[in-house]
Amino acid sequence: MALIDYRPMMERCSSCAGCKFIPFEKIKGVRFAENCPSIGYYNFMTYSARGRFQLSQSLLDGKAKLDETVTEAIHSCTSCGYCDIGCKITRYNLDVLDHNIEQKAYAVENGKTLPGQKPVIENLKNENSMIPGTKKADRAAWAKDLKMKDLNKESGTVAFFPGCKYSYDKKLQKVAQSAVKLLQGAGVDLGYLGAADNCCAGRAQQMGFFGDFKHRADSNIKAFEKAGVKTIVTPCSDCYHAFKRQYAKLGFKVEVLHVVEYIDKLIKEGKIKFTKSIPMTVTYHDPCHLGRLGEPFIPWEGKEKKIYNQIHTWEPKRPRYNGIYGIYDAPRDILKAIPGINLVEMERIREYSWCCGAGGGCNESNPDFSAWTAGERIAEANATGADAMVTACPWCKDNFTNAADEDGNKIEVLDVIELVQRAL
Amino acid sequence: MALSREIYQALEAVVGKRNISENIGVCESYRSIPAQSSAHYGPSEDWTPRPQAVVLPGSTEEVRGVVEICNKYKIEFKAASTFWATMGYIGGDCAIQLDMRRMKKIEIDAKNMCAIVEPFAIGATVQAEAMKVGLNLNIPGVGCSSSTLANFSSWIAFGPNSISMGQGSENILAMEWVLASGEVLRTGSLGSGDGWFCGEGPGPSQRGLLRGIFGAAGSLGVCTRMAVRLHPWPGPKDYPTYGQAPAYKADFGDNFKCYTLCYPTWEAWARSIQYFYECDVAYSGHRQFNMFGRDLKGAMLNIITNPDGQLADLNTLVNDPYIIEQNAKMKHEYQIIIAGMTKRDMEYKEAAVDYILKQTGGWKSEMMLKKEMHDYALAYLTRLGHKNLNFVMCGAYEGVLGLSSNIWKAIQVAEEATDTKKFWEQNHDHIAATGGDSAMGSLSGIGGGGATGWEFFTNFDAYDKESVRGTCKFVDTTQALHNKYGFGPDFCRWNSDVRHMNGYYFTQEEHDEMFSKAAQPWVFGYQYKIREIVNPNNLCGTYFRTANPSKLEAAGKGK
Repeated sequence: MALIDYRPMMERCSSCAGCKFIPFEKIKGVRFAENCPSIGYYNFMTYSARGRFQLSQSLLDGKAKLDETVTEAIHSCTSCGYCDIGCKITRYNLDVLDHNIEQKAYAVENGKTLPGQKPVIENLKNENSMIPGTKKADRAAWAKDLKMKDLNKESGTVAFFPGCKYSYDKKLQKVAQSAVKLLQGAGVDLGYLGAADNCCAGRAQQMGFFGDFKHRADSNIKAFEKAGVKTIVTPCSDCYHAFKRQYAKLGFKVEVLHVVEYIDKLIKEGKIKFTKSIPMTVTYHDPCHLGRLGEPFIPWEGKEKKIYNQIHTWEPKRPRYNGIYGIYDAPRDILKAIPGINLVEMERIREYSWCCGAGGGCNESNPDFSAWTAGERIAEANATGADAMVTACPWCKDNFTNAADEDGNKIEVLDVIELVQRAL
Repeated sequence: MALSREIYQALEAVVGKRNISENIGVCESYRSIPAQSSAHYGPSEDWTPRPQAVVLPGSTEEVRGVVEICNKYKIEFKAASTFWATMGYIGGDCAIQLDMRRMKKIEIDAKNMCAIVEPFAIGATVQAEAMKVGLNLNIPGVGCSSSTLANFSSWIAFGPNSISMGQGSENILAMEWVLASGEVLRTGSLGSGDGWFCGEGPGPSQRGLLRGIFGAAGSLGVCTRMAVRLHPWPGPKDYPTYGQAPAYKADFGDNFKCYTLCYPTWEAWARSIQYFYECDVAYSGHRQFNMFGRDLKGAMLNIITNPDGQLADLNTLVNDPYIIEQNAKMKHEYQIIIAGMTKRDMEYKEAAVDYILKQTGGWKSEMMLKKEMHDYALAYLTRLGHKNLNFVMCGAYEGVLGLSSNIWKAIQVAEEATDTKKFWEQNHDHIAATGGDSAMGSLSGIGGGGATGWEFFTNFDAYDKESVRGTCKFVDTTQALHNKYGFGPDFCRWNSDVRHMNGYYFTQEEHDEMFSKAAQPWVFGYQYKIREIVNPNNLCGTYFRTANPSKLEAAGKGK
């Protein structure tokens, strides 16, 4: 689609503010009622989904221009997708997130990007990684002591896909290593792509660099297919979303599992047993791309059809993404199964969870905005009285670890895998 | 016409560089598209004008600073918070928009049963904070996504709870108001330094001057803080919901019931409402789900309570014999919530409902008694968080046939109004065909009972210009019906004397001419005198209708 294809949606937005707040029935108080990091930080309407619809109309009509301010506004979106869920509470026909990302692509096509985006995309092009400064040659170093099959050389059907963050970040690598050991310990025959392991490029898609995403995705799909992979297991929520939703749109048909889904299954089958108690109160942060954006892709092709004169529907019936079928229970069930763990919930959870701030490449392109977004979540986590915030995404963990709330308070941040490892 | 550097820098010095923008793209996002929301003068294809700058003040002092600059340089300004209604947008070329979203504080004074709110405190957040101490507020029909302060200070603000809690003007206590002149006015007990608990003080009612019954829609300055009256809430303190998005439901326990009460005739329907006015047992009273139309409401209720429901399911559901039967039984209906302060109180209220049904030959809708449907309706009406389902069918709607009067008068034209709309649905394709009668609104727009607050929802497609233009023609038809019965301007025409269809305000000269022909021209002459005091440079738009007394005199309208 092109930006102009979203024109009917732009003109049918009713300025209801659903994109700015958590579902109104879920509001427990004023402090954590809002749910758009972008307008939360920048405050101008332009930074909300509603404002973005209106901005697109003005751009298409030639009233507004892609100047520096507008370019920054367009790219200052974490693509967390809450606006889309909030909108769909009462509006069934508007694809708000898809529009936001298309708007970014429109800017990219017109050469309007942010300075912080260039090294990310350059690194993707040259080194197949979206972390600036990392090298292709170092990608598999994290796995050198693990006994995983190289699926290009040995036969196997389950591929472990760590993603860029776990592959390169020295502080995080041990989480991926633990995940592999956990799965192997439970008898999973695990392999990886070895030299063919590359960035999924999901974040390029979130940033509006569609060409770079497509190029990388096509290449990866070929590599997976050549290796005979039937199942991908990943500990990264961004990669999970990329394979589950974005690659699926390109016709990629493999089973995609996040590590928490696999571990939860193994615990319930009795293949992972805990021996230690961890006396901790924790709260769980739902990564956007595992939760509301982690719903499976359902192929659909059709067109709009009006019934009863003016009521908008699609023919055939179009799949509806409410965010409710994302991965929410598996990580919570794991935490509840660990002896000693007391799970407490924040106000913004599941399909209306607050973003960590790293999405859409904003941790690289808009570091202050990204850090503020993470700080807001830290404040919310601390308000529960939890000792630690647990998550299931390296981008979330890293962004939270490096941030603090407005009063400078921090919180210990753990991956679900780390807690499982501790309890074995 | 861009602001001069001198003016821009003066504004920037007040609010800080981060909180002002004159970027065209940013300012473009502050234009109202009156085809998309209920503007009450359209629908119109033209957007309101682009402001020269957008300013985000963070305190009363900053608002005052901005207003003083506007007066010094004679720049029009308008404040808005949640930007749903076209009323909040500017209407001239040399104008700035104040976006109040940085001011969102809520302070609950449980002892005095009031909440002190800033402009961006929305109904949902105020209610959530109030419920923590066992209190609640009137959330008007616009829904909980809108600013409580803006609703109460600047518009009518009636909703489901108005029957027990009253409308906006009945719920305002003390206010802090930056008058359009730049002077800060503190009303009621606040003006005497005694806190927020009382709206009135010595002398003429400042509350009456600043808002009257309708409110001035932001034309007299910027209300920056307001105390709103809170009312008892016998439910849970944390508003428990269950169910999957978007069909959230609420179970408050045995002391809450939401009934859809149905009657054999409009006469019985009206008589039952009269009983509810008299016996004082309704916590909330609203005709809500008829907004989907007489023929579609049963099907729509089944769609919106199903997380996987879609509008494409309408065709199947509308033809379901059970739903056809339920629709027939719900022809003359409304929703009532009863809430028991004690078990005995609840038993009394249940008995009162049953007695009213017996007296009027009414019944409870069986479909709406199903637990999931009941709990959805309860959540819907107590928080009004799904109010934007108003737009779900077509993306836009306008309220027409606003029969906001005595119930006995309204029912006399209910079927004629239904036929008028149904004729248009069947003979034109500009508006959604929902079954003619789509009248919805409050059982009582004022506390204790009295005038209703009805409108027939008319759904159309803001993207389809033929639909927009056709709806305009339909609105002419409904106005003709209003004229026939002497009901005055239809709901959809209430603001047609404020803005031209191109979004620009009428000038003072145009208003002088227009209102000199009004039945009571000196109402507008009186308002002119008020405006001269609080808004001497006439900088906040024309929703506060005025006529220059000298022009009225010259037109022979007396003195």
